[in-house]
Amino acid sequence: MPWDIKPDRPIYTQLIEQIQLKICSGVYPPGSRLPSVRDLAQEASVNPNTMQRALAKLEEDGLLYTNRTSGRFVTEDTEMIKQVRKRLAEKHVQDFLKKMTELGFDYNEIISIISAMIKTEEMKHE
Amino acid sequence: MNNILECRNLTKIFGTKKALDNVTLSIPRGRIVGLLGPNGSGKTTFIKLCNQLLTPTSGEILIEGKIPGVETKKIVSYLPEKNYLSDWMKVSDIIGLFKDFYDDFNAEKAYDMLKSLGIKPNDRLKSMSKGTKEKVQLILVMSREAKLYLLDEPIGGVDPAARDYILDTILRNYNENATIILSTHLISDIEKILDDVIFIKGGQIVLTKTVDEIREEIGKSVDSLFREVFKC
Amino acid sequence: MLAKLLKYEVKATARFFLPLYVALIAFSLINRLLNPFEAVASPGSPNIDLNLQVIISIISMMAYFALMVGTLVMTVIVMIQRFYKNLLGDEGYLMFTLPVKTWQHITSKLLVAMLWAVLSFLITAVSILITANVQHLGDKLRELVDLVRTYLGPAGPFIIPAYIFLIIAFYTVMVYAAIALGHLFDRHRLAASFGMFCVLYFVYQIISAAFIFLLSTTIPDFFTASRMPTPHELNTLLAGPAIISIVLTAVNFTLTNIILQTRLNLE
Repeated sequence: MPWDIKPDRPIYTQLIEQIQLKICSGVYPPGSRLPSVRDLAQEASVNPNTMQRALAKLEEDGLLYTNRTSGRFVTEDTEMIKQVRKRLAEKHVQDFLKKMTELGFDYNEIISIISAMIKTEEMKHE
Repeated sequence: MNNILECRNLTKIFGTKKALDNVTLSIPRGRIVGLLGPNGSGKTTFIKLCNQLLTPTSGEILIEGKIPGVETKKIVSYLPEKNYLSDWMKVSDIIGLFKDFYDDFNAEKAYDMLKSLGIKPNDRLKSMSKGTKEKVQLILVMSREAKLYLLDEPIGGVDPAARDYILDTILRNYNENATIILSTHLISDIEKILDDVIFIKGGQIVLTKTVDEIREEIGKSVDSLFREVFKC
Repeated sequence: MLAKLLKYEVKATARFFLPLYVALIAFSLINRLLNPFEAVASPGSPNIDLNLQVIISIISMMAYFALMVGTLVMTVIVMIQRFYKNLLGDEGYLMFTLPVKTWQHITSKLLVAMLWAVLSFLITAVSILITANVQHLGDKLRELVDLVRTYLGPAGPFIIPAYIFLIIAFYTVMVYAAIALGHLFDRHRLAASFGMFCVLYFVYQIISAAFIFLLSTTIPDFFTASRMPTPHELNTLLAGPAIISIVLTAVNFTLTNIILQTRLNLE
């Protein structure tokens, strides 16, 4: 999964989100070891100090932990990861709902559209 | 000594032109700093003053607390805009030169990086294209374990793929005790790798912030802000 | 650091001079074999081969002279060009950011320029001796040394090479100072350097003339004396210009050093 850093939002915030995403989607599985700050920064083409700050924040939040000799690891607490996943999902839905209401749909219409689109997607995959 | 570079009221005048006007700055260690401004804003003049390629008209500039001279040149690694390699040399000659004069030069690292570009020790500099020579110069500069790197327009006249290579090389050789000062007017490419940005216009500093401060407080990318500040 | 600079300076310039020297010696050997003098000395012979030999010899001789003159001219040009290109051209960006003092840069260029000047001179002399097929070289040299001793005293044979070194150094440093002064101009630096050289040379001439004037007033009978001057007198006479040259060389060197250290402004 490539890093996607957009130009108009703080890089630090975007890095946090992207790492959370990678953890939730299994790119960095629970308990796995993360690459070094330097390697991650190089991969994302960002400043290592910024990457370090993002990782530090995630450690603070408990999603990552540091073992002094062996490096940084993803937490093994799958409950926490589920929580983060749920929060990210809720945020996406919130953004989605905001945009849909801006378009003028009410909640019933929104649910109908979603059901219809899911059916279409399911049929595509058969 | 937390600041690798300090300058106070630094002014440089060429004849009637004030290239740098009363510049006061402090740059700490371990930062990647972008010195951003249009052509002729004083970026190159500033960098040359750090190197003793120019001497101040007034004010002072200190590298690790010392006036630019033999001692500071030992810890400063400089990449000029120009190509400064002698055509008659082979790659091994120029590596030998750097090794002879700079104690902090890592020849092995240099050869490795050159190898990944397909450049061999016996290749003659004369036979290389302009782009290849630029990369050789970059590799030489980044193979030093210096405390301050001064890169003057490193991605200037170079194609996008080469730009990525250059930025990648810079990140790969990053050392948290060293500071890199990059001057450029091509900002969108390098924004993400910078810690701090300094906007310079007409020889004066107009802004000093971190990249994320700009994105958060002003809500724009550094590139957008630059376009605004330096609108013609 | 100076030793390292010398190493690179020699490396950069040897690739130019060594082939030239080899060619010079080779040509002188060829000329010796063709024996042009002997060929020309016996023109009475109606031998066609001999005429051909004469033509080849003459062409070879001309090529040889051209090469000789070329060597001496090239030595001067390379000496100037090395200083100008390596220190004040694009390569200056590398040179002046090396952790090396400015005077070491100037000195390394000077020493290597002197090296090639002396070598060019020696190789040219050797090649002439080979061509002319001088016999009993050892005896002739001994005669020469004795001659020098009679005029200049026992230290004579050492004074002459020292003087030659001084002259080479003097003019080389004058060129460097001229180039450094030319560098102070914003545009047309090359022309300015040339002009500055004329100025420096003019200053030197004035000082020399003043010295000769001084000499003629203090030793009025020197120029009217009908006998050969004694070694002591000759040495004293040579000392004057020598001291002037040494002082001017030091002044020019210091001038160059100051300019390059504080007024450098590479394109």
